Amino acid sequence: MAPVLVWLILILCLLISLVKYTFALILKWSVPGATVKKDYTYQPTVSVLMPCFNEGKTVYETIESISNSNYPSEKFEVIAQDDCSVDDSHEWMLKAQRDFSNIRVRVGRNTVNSGKARTVCNALQHSVAELMISIDSDCIFHPDAIRELAACFSEPKIGSVGGRVGVRNPNENAITAIQTFIYYAAFQVYKVPENWTRSVGCISGCLFAIRRELLLEIEPKIRSRHWFGIPVNQGEDRFLTHQTLLRGYGTYINNDAVCWTTVPSTLADLFKQQLRWKRSIIRDLFYTLRTLPKHVWTLHPNTVLTLVLTPLGALLGLLVVLTMLSGNPTELAGPGPLIGYLAIAAILGWVIRKYSTREAVNNPLAFGAYLAWSVVSSLFLTTLALCTLDSRDWGTRVKEQEQEAVDGDASRQEA
Amino acid sequence: MATQVVKKPEARPAVIQPMIYKSVVTVYRIFAIVTLYLVLLGVLAYGFVMGFYALNTSWAAPVILSPADDKSLDFTEKLVTTRQTLEDLNVDQKKLQDGVAEMQKHRTALEGLEPELKTAIVREQQHNQIAGPQLMELDRQKQADNRKTLAVMAQVREVEAAIDKDLAAGLITKGDAATQRAALNQAQSSYTDSKIGEILLTDNVLEKTTVDTKSLDVLDKQAELISEIAQLDVAISVAQKQIYEETKQIASLRQALATAKQTPYYLSVSGGSAVYFAFVPYDNQSSAAIGSAVYDCYLNMVGCRKVGTVKQIFAGEEHAIHPIFRTDIRGFLIQMQLDHSESAKSKTVFLSRKPLFF
Repeated sequence: MAPVLVWLILILCLLISLVKYTFALILKWSVPGATVKKDYTYQPTVSVLMPCFNEGKTVYETIESISNSNYPSEKFEVIAQDDCSVDDSHEWMLKAQRDFSNIRVRVGRNTVNSGKARTVCNALQHSVAELMISIDSDCIFHPDAIRELAACFSEPKIGSVGGRVGVRNPNENAITAIQTFIYYAAFQVYKVPENWTRSVGCISGCLFAIRRELLLEIEPKIRSRHWFGIPVNQGEDRFLTHQTLLRGYGTYINNDAVCWTTVPSTLADLFKQQLRWKRSIIRDLFYTLRTLPKHVWTLHPNTVLTLVLTPLGALLGLLVVLTMLSGNPTELAGPGPLIGYLAIAAILGWVIRKYSTREAVNNPLAFGAYLAWSVVSSLFLTTLALCTLDSRDWGTRVKEQEQEAVDGDASRQEA
Repeated sequence: MATQVVKKPEARPAVIQPMIYKSVVTVYRIFAIVTLYLVLLGVLAYGFVMGFYALNTSWAAPVILSPADDKSLDFTEKLVTTRQTLEDLNVDQKKLQDGVAEMQKHRTALEGLEPELKTAIVREQQHNQIAGPQLMELDRQKQADNRKTLAVMAQVREVEAAIDKDLAAGLITKGDAATQRAALNQAQSSYTDSKIGEILLTDNVLEKTTVDTKSLDVLDKQAELISEIAQLDVAISVAQKQIYEETKQIASLRQALATAKQTPYYLSVSGGSAVYFAFVPYDNQSSAAIGSAVYDCYLNMVGCRKVGTVKQIFAGEEHAIHPIFRTDIRGFLIQMQLDHSESAKSKTVFLSRKPLFF
């Protein structure tokens, strides 16, 4: 009975996904209201908040890419906040401050390692701008990114706007190729129905713009965010998006605001990143379920559906894989799913090559390996995430030799 | 631009809340550690079981065949149908054989008639060849006689006229005249008879010298006789062929029944004492030999004990679901002689040897 139920739920989820993606494509191509009317004359002052931890020289390149922005330089600044990196990240920040004098760069440093979310809040303390753009310190930004994000805020009910995250290293190996497909589909298709109702469930922290007053309102919640007394340092992007929605504001992804990130190229790094994301998703699900009545009465049904179904999908994936393994394990190795994935890869590969040449994947067939990854991800990541909700590391950026420093700082912070 | 240092003061926690949080986190961590170890253990065990069954070549899966399960029911239905067909064929074959015997008897009788008919025809033809010319000659003589008699008959008419004159002249009496006229009529009548005889003779000559309708009738009868024999030949041939085919079919069905009696399903449906079977995949065929030991193990692989022996190996191919991989596999059934009937309910048993030597 249980396996039948799992299969029924799976089929239902696939059906919902099919409808959602089909709907997304229809919206994308034929409904003008699905996109925000951008007003490029609207140019508020902008603070680009850049939390950083152990990024090394990359942080310099990130600031360099922002310095090339075509947004009026007098209207934006970069606030780079170092979270006690144990490498030379802080030095690179200072060098960037010296080298890119065409823009205003502030460099700050936390006294103790506080995690990304609190580092963003610390950076916020130095800002007086109308619009905050939180970015990842390992991304490269398109010159139009800030201009594109700001233009969306002409719509008064928009609270947060995200940009599209492209992959800088699509052809490094099969792992990065797979992620290229996932990133592209997520931004170009999956988020379109959410865009239509201005209710994107999670804006990527790589490029996250939010109104100042809104961020100030949410800041105390970010700082006090904890899991049974353990500070939560991860998933601030999902949390911020969620809080924006709960305050009655809209959230939106502007795919014309682009940044490029270097995605994990090893299984270990990918596993750590995905584990961090999974934890964030599970925490968000618990939060949503705890305050479900508020969600149901306040938010658009599509938003509630997104907020509930996305994390439930992760849990369901675990059940499905367990059911398959306890039933017919070789079914996973059957040609059906592989053919399905390869077909998707062929279509996406063609679309990416046509519309985003920079991300073109040389070997789209690598996407077939996603089948194996999805099994590992569903089986282990969800379980591990459920069992490590007390984690407070930076995910992919923690190196073994740095762990001690992080733990020491955290202890001091708690003291 | 100067480097700025920001430090946010931490909120002072309440006294009880941290204790509750600490307790919850401690319980959570214990639970998480146990869960993760269980998951790890589960993964390792799963991997070991998968590997074990991928490499092991002595396992067999006990099968309990119920007379009510689909395969047994299907088998019973086929068995009954086969037996019925066999019975029908036997009856039909008997009928055909009787029919053939009857037809052959009839044919023999007809065949005996045919030469007699031929002899009669030949004999008649020979007789006609002799009698025909003789009759023809007699017919010619008769005609000549009749022509002569006709001339005499002209004189008779003159005599008749002379009688009338003589009677009128009173030369003769009426009695004499009547006597003379009667003699004349008799002569006339004789001539008529002679004429009839001539015609009949001519007719007879025609019969003897040409093929007449009577002869044709006889020939027709002869053709009918030959045709009937030919038809009987065909019918006998067809019936014999049918008997041959049915004999072959009966032999096949008997063979099939004999084979069916050697299947586990027959043993299952034929009742009697409990019989135990096990499915052996082809990969493990080498372990299945009559008389080899059957082991039942705890957790399907350890702590094994001997529970019986292999009694019989069935030749027919069977398909089954792999007890671990859940894939379709091909193999055959064996009959086990079990000392512990409970082992028939185990997921797997092992043949010939213990899988892990204990």
